[in-house]
Amino acid sequence: MDENADSAAVSVEGLSVNYDKTPVLWDIHFDIPKAKLVGIVGPNGAGKSTLLKTLLGMVQPLSGRIEFFGETLKRAGQRIAYVPQRSSVDWDFPITAFEVVLMGRYRKLGPLKWVRRADREAATHALVSVGMEGFADRQISQLSGGQQQRLFLARALLQDADIYLMDEPFAGVDMATEKAIIGLMDRLKTQGKTLLVVHHDLGTVHNYFDWVIMLNTCLIAYGPVEEVFHADAIMRTYGASGALIEEAVKLVRGKTSGAS
Amino acid sequence: MNILRYFTDPVLQAPTLGSMLMCLSAALVGVVVVLKRRSLLGEALSHASYPGVVISIFILAAFFPAGQDWLAPVILLGAFTTALLGLFAIELLERRLKIKNDAALCFVLSIFFGVGVLFASRLQFEHALWYKTMQVFLFGQAATMNNTHVILYAALAALTIAILLLKYYPIKLTLFDRDYAKTVGVRLAALDALLFVLIAMAIVIGIRSVGVVLMAGMLIAPAVAAKQLTHRLKWVFILAGVVGALSGFLGNYLSLEIPAWGSGLGWKFTLPTGPMILLSASSMSLLALLFAPKQGLVGRKWRIATFRWVSQGENLLKFLWKKGDSAVVRFTDLRAQTPYSSLQLWLLLSGLQRQGWIKRSRSGGYALTSDGVVRAGYIVRLHRLWEVYLVHLGQGVEKVHCRAEEMEHILTPELEQQLVDLLNHPKQDPHHQPIPYSERLP
Repeated sequence: MDENADSAAVSVEGLSVNYDKTPVLWDIHFDIPKAKLVGIVGPNGAGKSTLLKTLLGMVQPLSGRIEFFGETLKRAGQRIAYVPQRSSVDWDFPITAFEVVLMGRYRKLGPLKWVRRADREAATHALVSVGMEGFADRQISQLSGGQQQRLFLARALLQDADIYLMDEPFAGVDMATEKAIIGLMDRLKTQGKTLLVVHHDLGTVHNYFDWVIMLNTCLIAYGPVEEVFHADAIMRTYGASGALIEEAVKLVRGKTSGAS
Repeated sequence: MNILRYFTDPVLQAPTLGSMLMCLSAALVGVVVVLKRRSLLGEALSHASYPGVVISIFILAAFFPAGQDWLAPVILLGAFTTALLGLFAIELLERRLKIKNDAALCFVLSIFFGVGVLFASRLQFEHALWYKTMQVFLFGQAATMNNTHVILYAALAALTIAILLLKYYPIKLTLFDRDYAKTVGVRLAALDALLFVLIAMAIVIGIRSVGVVLMAGMLIAPAVAAKQLTHRLKWVFILAGVVGALSGFLGNYLSLEIPAWGSGLGWKFTLPTGPMILLSASSMSLLALLFAPKQGLVGRKWRIATFRWVSQGENLLKFLWKKGDSAVVRFTDLRAQTPYSSLQLWLLLSGLQRQGWIKRSRSGGYALTSDGVVRAGYIVRLHRLWEVYLVHLGQGVEKVHCRAEEMEHILTPELEQQLVDLLNHPKQDPHHQPIPYSERLP
């Protein structure tokens, strides 16, 4: 089905991103092959979320090239599903769990965006696959943190994408949800999907992921976990050399914004 | 048929219908503003539209010193233009100069309004007739609306509804989760522009009847009321529309009926329509805030009071139980040994008696019925089970009593069963008191 079977699922070259005048990502490059479960790790403010948002076109890069299966975001957009951070939305919004999941079908709806029976069935199926079928009609503020996260996953599942970009899906969820999410990720991987997951807990990287991207404004390392995720690289990501980068970034901000 | 008169009488018809249509579109657009969490935007934009009114009147006055009826759309166009300019200025201040949103809004509000007032004061001396027209826009005036206005407002309200219907799904998606909406192909820039035009349009039609100063309230109040009453976005829109149209009607109705009623009592006064519309809308949202079944303040206070009442009754049962199954306790002893006042105690006791948990003995004291003994034992059981559980979690034995005082009134039979299973059927609490057990569940 894939005419570019040999090209990488996600390919990034010379990617730099600034917020205002502050560098957030410097000259990032990597190629992620198809059907890999990839963790993105790095300290706070290392640009992990920014990397996802840049891949998705929400943040305009200063320079660099991004390709999915050898195509631009514009052409490959419908093959990518995004799972935002749970804290990024207002959970008091007047909407039910089912309606949130149904949003995953948005691209498949016609020009008037009328929801058909088939869309409802698909959404119900997605809710079942995250174990949330009993909560379809709940207002979303009545769900626990773990349930809210599962809802976001169900919505992404409904998109039936080839690449999944997830921003901290394990943040603030219970053990049961964490296990359920991991189970789901493994299943997606065996179906040939590629997953890029921003992750916080270094202790679980070995168990959860088969590839890793280590970021601290610069790219520190990327590749299979057993090859690159070693004490040396972790030190370079999180240790004193990481602190030096922060200091440099602060200086750059001062100079380019004219503050001092 | 007093009410129907407002829709058939040639004098009353135009103001009533005009106000209702205007409030309907303002309320629908207000839902978007409130859910975007940009409630202040309405305030800034309505004030920004004022210089447009003034300047277009200024220009018109030069050509038509006598004033003409059909010029109303021209004035609205002027208002619309400066409202959009105000919006543009807010964007500029936020993006380019890094000014915080609320500061930028206040800045635009005061500067635009100031410019309007400046021109207005000049007009006052040159064209008194036009000056009067302009004052209408400041505080609103429904009574002078005619059929031209009604047709114009009807068209704009229809346009607003049509756009909301056609773009309902992308609007819903964007309001809930903007980033995600972009990833599934919603064109955010186009949608934002469309929504801003809708907002500016609703404000511009609205200022004619409620005025620049009160317009923001007309956007917000119906949406706030509707949000209290439902958890479905569709219904928030529908209810807000109903509240909006209803307050448009009530404003006209009350501003005529109340003075009429007053003059019957020999009391002469008039009520302006615009403020009455706003007062109707805000009264409705206040009622919703207080009495909405789930989220209303009154409902919540009532549920809290009920819980406290039940807890106090259960504490009394526990007190009697600890005196012994068949002990008879006199009112004066209860009064001395419990924290309740005489009245409170009397109410609690008669409540418990009515429910069949306690009985009055012939000597005038109170004792538990056999049902009451089971009920009280069950409460003590929950209390002691919770203590065991807290100690099991590693809490100090001396601290657990206070925590359990509350939980005994809250634990459900399902949680009790889970506790029993988890703790392996404990027989004693951490203070070596037996945990009561009865085959009969109360």
